[in-house]
Amino acid sequence: MKNKIKVQRAIHNLTQDDLAKKIAVSRQTINTMESGKYVPSTALALKMARLFGVPVEELFELEETD
Amino acid sequence: MKQIKLFPHSFQRIGWILLIPFLTLGIANMFFEYNASWLQFRITKGNGLEFFSSHNFTDELAAIGLISSLSFIAFSKEKIEDEAIQFFRLEALQWAVYANYLVLIISILVVYGSTFFQVMTYNMFTVLIIFILRFRYILFQYNKAGI
Repeated sequence: MKNKIKVQRAIHNLTQDDLAKKIAVSRQTINTMESGKYVPSTALALKMARLFGVPVEELFELEETD
Repeated sequence: MKQIKLFPHSFQRIGWILLIPFLTLGIANMFFEYNASWLQFRITKGNGLEFFSSHNFTDELAAIGLISSLSFIAFSKEKIEDEAIQFFRLEALQWAVYANYLVLIISILVVYGSTFFQVMTYNMFTVLIIFILRFRYILFQYNKAGI
């Protein structure tokens, strides 16, 4: 699964730490999500989408292998 | 999100502190046949256990103490317990169960007689020990990635 968390974070001018605090996870979790090592739960994905004001599909995208 | 029941974060330190005396007691009992005199209990007659007229509970105390302290270390919350940590925790637990039974299968094939009983004694703790090592390793990598 591909994601655009990093891009959206840059658009909203947030550091990994800022985003982590806003959605109540650790900074390392943001890092593992951005690098694709961890796929977040639906609840966390929706939280991020709401924070960035975009639909979830804008933030996450299925890949051929999924 | 639904949280898995875990001990509070402070139990991790308590676990490490308790581990030292119980591990020492366990090693002393297992390898040096140490039995604490104050743990020697008489079993009263007439309960059908007369051949056990007296029993020392050092090994029982060491085993229960070790299992409790290892469980505290293994199953207490991290400072920030989020869903990624829970995912890695479950992954490490599954890995530990696989690894544990793999070791057990090898032991069944290569160890016989009374030595096998000793293997089973160690086996009481190996799931927890392997889990702790694996989980700590995953967290170490996860922290390294975050820098």
